[in-house]
Amino acid sequence: MSVEVKNVTKKFGNFTALDNVSLKVESGELVALLGPSGSGKTTLLRTIAGLEFPDNTGEAQVLFYGEDVTQIPASERKAGFAFQHYALFRHMSVFENIAFGLRVRPKTTRPPENEIRARVEKLLKLIQLEPMAKRFPSQLSGGQRQRVALARALAVEPKVLLLDEPFGALDAKVRKELRRWLRQLHDEIHVTTLFVTHDQEEALEVSDRVAILRAGKIEQIGTPEEIYDRPASPFVYDFLGNVNLFSGRVKDGAMVIGGTEFATPDATGEKDSDAVAFVRPHDIRVTRQPLGPALPALVVRSNAAGPVANLQLKRQDSGEIFTVQLSKELFQELSPKPGEQVFVELKNVKIFSDDYSI
Amino acid sequence: MLPGFKLTLGFTLFYLGLIVLIPLAAVFWKTTTLTWPQFWQTITMPTAMASYRLTFGASFLAALVNVIFGLIVAWVLVRYEFFGKKIVDALVDLPFALPTAVAGITLAALYSKTGWIGQLLEPLGIKAANTQLGIFIALTFIGLPFIVRTVQPILEDLDPELEEAASSLGANRWQVFWRVVLPMLTPALLTGFALAFARALGEYGSVIFIAGNIPMKTQITPVIIMGELDMFDYGKATAIAVVMLVVSFVLLLTINVLQWWTNRYNTNNLA
Repeated sequence: MSVEVKNVTKKFGNFTALDNVSLKVESGELVALLGPSGSGKTTLLRTIAGLEFPDNTGEAQVLFYGEDVTQIPASERKAGFAFQHYALFRHMSVFENIAFGLRVRPKTTRPPENEIRARVEKLLKLIQLEPMAKRFPSQLSGGQRQRVALARALAVEPKVLLLDEPFGALDAKVRKELRRWLRQLHDEIHVTTLFVTHDQEEALEVSDRVAILRAGKIEQIGTPEEIYDRPASPFVYDFLGNVNLFSGRVKDGAMVIGGTEFATPDATGEKDSDAVAFVRPHDIRVTRQPLGPALPALVVRSNAAGPVANLQLKRQDSGEIFTVQLSKELFQELSPKPGEQVFVELKNVKIFSDDYSI
Repeated sequence: MLPGFKLTLGFTLFYLGLIVLIPLAAVFWKTTTLTWPQFWQTITMPTAMASYRLTFGASFLAALVNVIFGLIVAWVLVRYEFFGKKIVDALVDLPFALPTAVAGITLAALYSKTGWIGQLLEPLGIKAANTQLGIFIALTFIGLPFIVRTVQPILEDLDPELEEAASSLGANRWQVFWRVVLPMLTPALLTGFALAFARALGEYGSVIFIAGNIPMKTQITPVIIMGELDMFDYGKATAIAVVMLVVSFVLLLTINVLQWWTNRYNTNNLA
């Protein structure tokens, strides 16, 4: 049981938005489509909703629980869609906005008025906006509007809920509140959900699985842990957070950076070649004296504002700048001054050579 | 408060007074040269009564027809791309730009028994020249740009996501138009209607040639006013003008209230 797209290609003029994309979302899953702008994530979402249609008809397929809906228009797909800018009907009250999907049904399947009323009230309770039923969208805050848009999409009991940058237009604080609320909501009602975002933190926090898109292709798909800990490409690694690049040479079981050899079990059996080591800022240990294999570096700048301290260091051999994140205690213990020499040890080194992962 | 308030407000009041209020007041003042019975007799004389019905009726119908067809024209101009769109777009303004007398003569020539269109209508038993139909045609002609030009920008700004949202909720195309698009356009349609209606009420040049100005049949109110002026009867002329003025004002006020009501969702006050 799943919502599935197969081999979808979509072009806008010369621009390829989707390049033979296939994706399967299991029933009840919450999946994030993450990628930079122009990566095709919104086009993929719109294709599932029936707001765009694949170019390669015949090959491409969109399946809702086994049923082929590729050629079925949006109005008959029963896919709930929430837009980044809410797209609420300005001339209708909150109540009527939510009731819209029920009221436009043909007479034979339209629920009676009292049932519509009961359903809308239940949804208003779910989005915690019961007192706002009579207001117009212009009288609500951004976060409230997005919740109304969500309730409106849920009212038709969609087979899949599609959210296009649902928190994109909100300020940081409301954004965080709302995404936690979305996760809770999903745990309550278990509707199969896909949501588009360009915010990696949002994707990692909320979703069951994350699909990372780049230039119309899915680069990697997996649970947030898998994606974060075992990125399939330098692009994914880079996209999911700050990263330092150390160029050097890889050889059987080790990576040589600036004359220092770091053991890297991943690289066992590799031939001697140029490679780039990816290291997260918090996977670097800074010490005054080398305790094991360590790289000498100079302190450029330090910044201890916020929950963790940030240190900018410069490699002594190549002059490359990299950043280190360390706890406040370690920072105070170390008390680095600009220009001083320190030694760095690298942990969880991920090696990529020529764009493929080792 | 922004500097210059007193100066600009003073100027605004002076200008409005000079251009709008003083002439309007003069109409009322001139009317007072008549006694009440004279006034009443003038404004209720059969030819005047017939002309009110004709003027307001034809103007109303013409504006109404323009609401429907003007909306279609605006829709086509906004939603579709086709060859010659710029030219069609420019054509819409023609009734604005044309001197009304030119429009009047052109229409009269076209719809006369021997005119291009008149000769086609003749075998069907339809007469446009010297009939109320002709007046209606002329008023429709001059009113069209008002609807198109008020609806067009609103339609252009209408977020396509609204229609997509509606169809993803299961609405068919007719429901999308009727329940989502049309309500958003209603305030603009009302404004366009009010403008076209007001323009039609005061129309003179384009109507008189095609109308034939037969008393009780095809004589519009401005022609009656003109007739009184020709006889140097300023009092009678202004008396009928006052009727036009008051009725027009009340109608436009009603339309404004209606428009405010249909647009009430755009307010930000927490009700």
